[in-house]
Amino acid sequence: MTQQEINIEVLRYNPEKDSEPSYETFQVPFSHETSVLQGLQFIKDQLDGSLTFRWSCRMEICGSCGMMINGVPHLTCSAFLRDYYPGKLRIEPLSHLPIERDLAVDQTDFLQKLESIQPYIIPKETRSLEDGPFKQTPAQRERFYQFSECINCLLCYAACPQYGLDSGFLGPAAMALLHRYNSDSRDAGQAERMPIVNAQEGVWGCTLVGYCSEVCPKGVDPASAVNRNKVSSTLDYFFRFMAPRGASE
Amino acid sequence: MQVVQTDIVIVGGGGAGLRAAIAAAECDPKLRISLISKVVPMRSHTVAAEGGSAGVVQSCDSLDSHFHDTVAGGDWLCEQPVVDYFIASCTREMVQLEHWGCPWSRQEDGSINVRNFGGMTTARTWFAADKTGFHILHTLFQTSMKYPSIQRFDEFFCLDLIVDDGRCQGIVAIEIATGEFFRFEAHVVIFATGGAGRIYPCNTNAGISTGDGMGIALRHGVALRDMEFVQYHPTALAGSGLLITEGCRGEGGFLYNKDGYRYLQDYGLGPVDPSPRPKAMELGPRDKLSQAFWHEDRLGRTLDTPLGSVVHLDLRHLGRIRLHERLPMICEMAETFLGIDPAEAPIPVRPAVHYTMGGICTDGNTATSLPGFFAVGECSSVGIHGANRLGSNSLAEIVVFGKVAGEQAAQAARTSRGIDTRAVAHHAESSMEAALALFEHDSDQRIVDLRKAMQAAMEEGVGIYRTEEGMSATCRILDELVETNRRVHLDDKNRVFNTEWLTAIELGFTLDVARTMAYSAIQRKESRGAHQRLDRYEQRDDTNFLKHSLAYAVADAPPRIEYQEVVITKLPPAERVYGGQAKSQLQGE
Amino acid sequence: MAARRPYVRPMAGWWRRNPFYIFYMLRESTAVFVALYALQLLYGLYMLSIGEAAFDTWLASLQHPLYLVFHTVALAAALLHAFTWFNVAPKAMPVLYLGTRRVADRTIVWVQFLFFFVISAAMIGLALGG
Ligand SMILES: Cc1cc2nc3c(=O)[nH]c(=O)nc-3n(C[C@H](O)[C@H](O)[C@H](O)COP(=O)(O)OP(=O)(O)OC[C@H]3O[C@@H](n4cnc5c(N)ncnc54)[C@H](O)[C@@H]3O)c2cc1C
Ligand code: SF4
Ligand code: FES
Repeated sequence: MTQQEINIEVLRYNPEKDSEPSYETFQVPFSHETSVLQGLQFIKDQLDGSLTFRWSCRMEICGSCGMMINGVPHLTCSAFLRDYYPGKLRIEPLSHLPIERDLAVDQTDFLQKLESIQPYIIPKETRSLEDGPFKQTPAQRERFYQFSECINCLLCYAACPQYGLDSGFLGPAAMALLHRYNSDSRDAGQAERMPIVNAQEGVWGCTLVGYCSEVCPKGVDPASAVNRNKVSSTLDYFFRFMAPRGASE
Repeated sequence: MQVVQTDIVIVGGGGAGLRAAIAAAECDPKLRISLISKVVPMRSHTVAAEGGSAGVVQSCDSLDSHFHDTVAGGDWLCEQPVVDYFIASCTREMVQLEHWGCPWSRQEDGSINVRNFGGMTTARTWFAADKTGFHILHTLFQTSMKYPSIQRFDEFFCLDLIVDDGRCQGIVAIEIATGEFFRFEAHVVIFATGGAGRIYPCNTNAGISTGDGMGIALRHGVALRDMEFVQYHPTALAGSGLLITEGCRGEGGFLYNKDGYRYLQDYGLGPVDPSPRPKAMELGPRDKLSQAFWHEDRLGRTLDTPLGSVVHLDLRHLGRIRLHERLPMICEMAETFLGIDPAEAPIPVRPAVHYTMGGICTDGNTATSLPGFFAVGECSSVGIHGANRLGSNSLAEIVVFGKVAGEQAAQAARTSRGIDTRAVAHHAESSMEAALALFEHDSDQRIVDLRKAMQAAMEEGVGIYRTEEGMSATCRILDELVETNRRVHLDDKNRVFNTEWLTAIELGFTLDVARTMAYSAIQRKESRGAHQRLDRYEQRDDTNFLKHSLAYAVADAPPRIEYQEVVITKLPPAERVYGGQAKSQLQGE
Repeated sequence: MAARRPYVRPMAGWWRRNPFYIFYMLRESTAVFVALYALQLLYGLYMLSIGEAAFDTWLASLQHPLYLVFHTVALAAALLHAFTWFNVAPKAMPVLYLGTRRVADRTIVWVQFLFFFVISAAMIGLALGG
């Protein structure tokens, strides 16, 4: 466990003092298993207690600790300082999201979007608890499971230039979760969610850059959710065009 | 100070808090419910639970058997009527989660799949791959968006309860994004603030598990019950303490010492079978497994690594396909954090602090001794875990009792005697001043040094095995730290998003909670469940200690410890047996 | 009193910040060449409609080195476009199942390439042979 030192350059912004962000560099000792998050914690504990960032679980599941490392969105608890040595690290808050302070961004926009997609089962049939669980075969579960693995870390939003250019765009994760519910055999809410998909800010805001799926730490592949919905949006439009009145069925 | 008038305040957006919010909203859609959490709910620590949640479903299983496992697992320190209600409600709540969309793992025919878990007689643990807590939490969080009466206050830090006229009338909170103080005036407050594993150096808990709710309740004269019982999970990664789920052993993983020997057979957990046998060997209860590690370590039979001594958890014989299907997260974690593939190499593990069995003392309805104040989830002690919690009972607990808390709160809100606004404002002012005082006092003490000193003292004196000498040394250190913490140094004097300030406040709560653990422990002169002594008190002593401990705060002094009888209705105390004997005992009944 | 003042970073020059974005811009710009090529084909058709002589002049003009350069670039652009689209196609189509097993994204990409080569070979064969 030899100790080495690495330079970490951090983007800092204190809304009470600064008019715009600027970089500050810290020297941090590390060993083989030191994560980038632990590097930041070292800075906060020992060098400058005012460095601000979010973290919680330390095991890439709570989605708190996403940041840009050398321009690429990562969960800092599962990125390791050794992988950047002997170079240095430049750590910035997630791109395309407003900075609250230092490395903490404003996540409220995503939460509102999540709420807008009706992220809950709109049941096919009323079923009481006495009736027991729905039947769902492993194959049926497989159809939506991947999309339910989203940890809301927002790395995909930091990867999406369309969202950066127009934050009205629903964006990758919210669309993945919309698709998750639409593809669940227990759900019958697709028709209710379709207007969100069809809207200008829905799937059609996407130009298939595809970087969101590249950076997703959980293999959710939000780009595929968005683009599969382009197909359903087109079909939806087509059928409404064909049968304007019976459209909703 | 900003004011929010509401009916029910729920502090905590983990599984317990969310379930309570939904239950209250379903009870009465007109109630205004404020859900306060220091992290956005889906970041709560419930997200990290891997293994699964208990609920009897198999035809070969029975409620009695789950009851027996729970009470025996808790070394008879469980409130049996509460356990009874709990066991009878688990499955219903699991079905409820299913209806809300929880992606439970299934059998080929589409019905629910269950797995074995430590200390459980048969397979009754519902699971969603090895991300059960994650899926439960996201299901509850997303479902909660259906209810317009639930208003969320994300990233609000609860600082204090407001108590006047002998009843709870609200809370004081800090909006983290601005550093502004908020006063919530409410008829009922529910705490669902989670555990306190951060008291120990090597733990499986998230950074937010600092025992805030327990600390706040304690300061208002509410007792913390059974705090000496702290669960060590036998299989965590050395150094970080990250959890390697018990599900690994449920699937058939083996534990080997450095000689490649399944050492658990030497600790009364045999016989050695090639496939998992419930309650035996690797599927023994957590306390026994952690204690076995401790002995192996003393005997020099563990492996040395730079991060401390470890044993090997071997999953190789399960094969890559099964591992990736049933334990995908463990495979991912082993790859990321250790750079190993569990299909090819064993995982080095050691015990780490995992769960606080004790907590805010409540009755079976989650009500505390303070009118208008309820507590639920890991921050509470409703009485089902006793001296040792069984894995997969606590996820079930947060939904079963979360629902109870929500319903009870809805009822209490309707019969409330009203809020004394003037008095409430006055109390809120003084909490605010206390929090701001942290900016005024100063010393050269950094938070990290205090935290490390506390953690080291706790591991040393109140760890897997305890002695009088060790515990009294820990008590002394904690007493000093409580003093020092009042003058801790802050680099950050700003108000917007000042996490250093909040950490200092948290540390104040954590230290108080640590003291209740150490002082409850030193006065329990017996060994039971997770509380094991090496100094003349190695045996369980039902004559003197078949009792809950209750820790009460005393101004400027260590906590006072009292005792409460345990309610035993069905199952009289007997010896806890595991391994081969467990089977014969069950058949004998 | 405390102020919350979220800072929004400018987006100017965003596509230069990451190789992934540069490649994306390259992919999008291939459309320009494909469009130009199509225009030029249309012009050829127009010439054909005028008469054989006009068409021959047009064909001859294609021998000009500048046109050759343009065609090489347009071919490269079209190939790049096809390549990137083959790679993203699995994301844009419904999930395929063979029995209960999901067809891997990689398989879909390879099948497309297979078709592409087989059909291209057949076309070239036809053009050269006929
Ligand atoms: C790694 C791990 C794996 C586990 N696996 C299992 C398992 O397989 N099966 C099982 O049954 N159990 C398991 N457990 C235990 C179980 O997950 C927890 O006991 C349970 O999730 C606790 O839920 P909770 O709702 O009480 O608290 P948490 O989920 O911890 O939520 C606490 C909430 O309180 C909020 N809060 C705290 N303090 C404040 C404050 N001052 N102001 C505002 N908000 C505050 C937090 O923001 C958070 O929202 C596991 C635990 C761990 C650590
Ligand atoms: S889709 Fe992936 S990157 Fe986006 S929020 Fe979800 S887990 Fe994170
Ligand atoms: S700290 Fe939870 S995802 Fe990194």
